[in-house]
Amino acid sequence: MNDIVLETKGLTKYYRRTLAVDHLDLKIPRGSICGFVGRNGAGKTTAIKLILGLLNPTTGSSTVLGCDSAELKPSIRQRIGYVTEGHRLFRWMTIGEIEKFQRPFFPKQWDGKFFTDMIDYFELSRKRKIKHLSNGQRAQVSLALALAPHPELLIMDDPTLGLDAAIRRQFLEGMIGLITRQGKTILFSSHILGDVERVADRIAVIDKGVLRANCSLEQFQKAVKKVMLSFTDSVPAEIDIDGLLHCRRSQKELELVLVGADEEQITAWAQKSGADKHQITKMTLEDQFIEYTAPPDHKKLFQWEEL
Amino acid sequence: MGIWIQISPGADKPIYIQVAEQIAEAIAKNQLSVGDKLPAVRKLAAELVINPNTVARSYTILEQAGLVTTKTGSGTFVADPKLRSSDAADLNLLSERIDTIIARGLNLGLEPENMVSLFKARLEGFVKKQESEIK
Repeated sequence: MNDIVLETKGLTKYYRRTLAVDHLDLKIPRGSICGFVGRNGAGKTTAIKLILGLLNPTTGSSTVLGCDSAELKPSIRQRIGYVTEGHRLFRWMTIGEIEKFQRPFFPKQWDGKFFTDMIDYFELSRKRKIKHLSNGQRAQVSLALALAPHPELLIMDDPTLGLDAAIRRQFLEGMIGLITRQGKTILFSSHILGDVERVADRIAVIDKGVLRANCSLEQFQKAVKKVMLSFTDSVPAEIDIDGLLHCRRSQKELELVLVGADEEQITAWAQKSGADKHQITKMTLEDQFIEYTAPPDHKKLFQWEEL
Repeated sequence: MGIWIQISPGADKPIYIQVAEQIAEAIAKNQLSVGDKLPAVRKLAAELVINPNTVARSYTILEQAGLVTTKTGSGTFVADPKLRSSDAADLNLLSERIDTIIARGLNLGLEPENMVSLFKARLEGFVKKQESEIK
């Protein structure tokens, strides 16, 4: 089961003096869909480019499909699909021309029928020029191009940015199709937590270049909790509970956001601190992400299960 | 027999729970009856546009609750109710849900006896629907 398709070791990138990616240790098991989330400028695009060997790391290394990112041979690249941020395609080409251009890079596995089927499904004509397409249509072409060689690993950099709900759904369908038909592996960055929740089974959270979680989505959802406590007298001055991300206090109430603490620990702490009542409330993935990536300090990292 | 499953990302309930609850409800309402086969994991995943592992997780939960059984190689089927377990944890969860409803009722200004009769009426309606599905 421990088949790792993509692994980074201490991957670090400085742009001059700006630290963009900070000792990233990311592992992605085969057959998973990993949602790569982080706020704007967190280092997602840089990390993806480093993984694909499009940028050189300052220090550290990464391997994709068992091959060092700095030395990805064409035979390995053929097994990787990459959808760039903003779906950059040659504007002067028609859809048909861009297929002809792309095809020779994947000589053995290019599935022309699949490409045509997708283009038909999107109601696009091969004769249309890229520059005359809308953002959404360019995204559709870019998805068809990435999926036509049936890549073993698909890496997409914020593929649904700026797309309407219907086209976003097509993207998600394409991803699910790839994974259900062929058990391929996908890494995609996104700002839309709802999409990540829908299609991903793993989540990698990056914040200010630091990887702050890399685990199953379920584990992440279970780990981040909000607790409301009420006190008859006053809220204790010192909050000494493990895994504290945030606390907000009023005179008699205390709201804590915790990571990793289980219900027993929470109950024990509530009793110790003299709370009359405490209640663990459910959080949406979006709230969990926001609270998790905006802590007052970076001391307490969430311990996830190592692959 | 098809059932309609609605997924809401961004809810405070994880998707695997949403799927499991809706299937459990369909079983309770007899929209799915004993021996019915659940859709294959991959097929349901593609239909709902969710990760196959999420569907598999939902099926595992239903299996742990004794609502379905998985036969290797042939699929997942609705289990015989006689074989279903209801352990303390399940009952606890149910009690918590009843508490939420009681709180709502009190907020609406209902008297305890009104709530009891409302509960009875709903239960009778549910059983009737269940019987009509069997016919």
